[in-house]
Amino acid sequence: MKIVKEVIIVVFCLLLIPAAAFLTTAAKQRFADGPSLVFSGGPLEAGALHAGAEPDWSVVSAVSTIELQLLDPPRSRRIWTAEYEGKLYVWSGYMSTAVGRLWKHWPIQAARDGRAVIRIDGVRYERQLIRIQSGDGLDGITAAITSKYPSQTTRAAVEAGDAWLFEAAPRK
Amino acid sequence: MKYFYWGIAAAVVLTVLAVLFVPGVDQWVEQTVLRNVGRAAR
Repeated sequence: MKIVKEVIIVVFCLLLIPAAAFLTTAAKQRFADGPSLVFSGGPLEAGALHAGAEPDWSVVSAVSTIELQLLDPPRSRRIWTAEYEGKLYVWSGYMSTAVGRLWKHWPIQAARDGRAVIRIDGVRYERQLIRIQSGDGLDGITAAITSKYPSQTTRAAVEAGDAWLFEAAPRK
Repeated sequence: MKYFYWGIAAAVVLTVLAVLFVPGVDQWVEQTVLRNVGRAAR
């Protein structure tokens, strides 16, 4: 029994090393300008702030991910995006699962305060995230999403709250 | 076991310092996470 206990302690101690590497990398990224592929980052600071007319969002069809930062809290992450009828959309899946509730905080924060900054190809855009839960446009939006990504974001998933969908509208 | 614990403590501290200050270590950690997440997803 003593041997088993010692083996468990040794394994636990050895796991501390990769855990330290993981947690330190995550903490370091929080102070960086923007997210990495895995870890969320700090506020988006570099890049010109777009001013003027609403851009042609069809350009995002060639962009796999964008950087999204909320103003409160000022943290950024890399997410998928899609365009439909000239409007930009972001979303988050797994919202009704335990994993989703643990992993995905930004949609809840965005529903509380939707002020956001996105960065695409080095240009920052001030946006207002507006949650969409129903409506006639849902079929078209979710079709745009599923044609671009291997995503389970369907109209039913959005209406059931499994996926939280936001329009990234211009900020007034 | 006492030396083992000291060794682990030193390794943890060195790991933290390496991630913080040695260029490229954080990217290596991230690539390792991505590789393992990808393998788990497959």
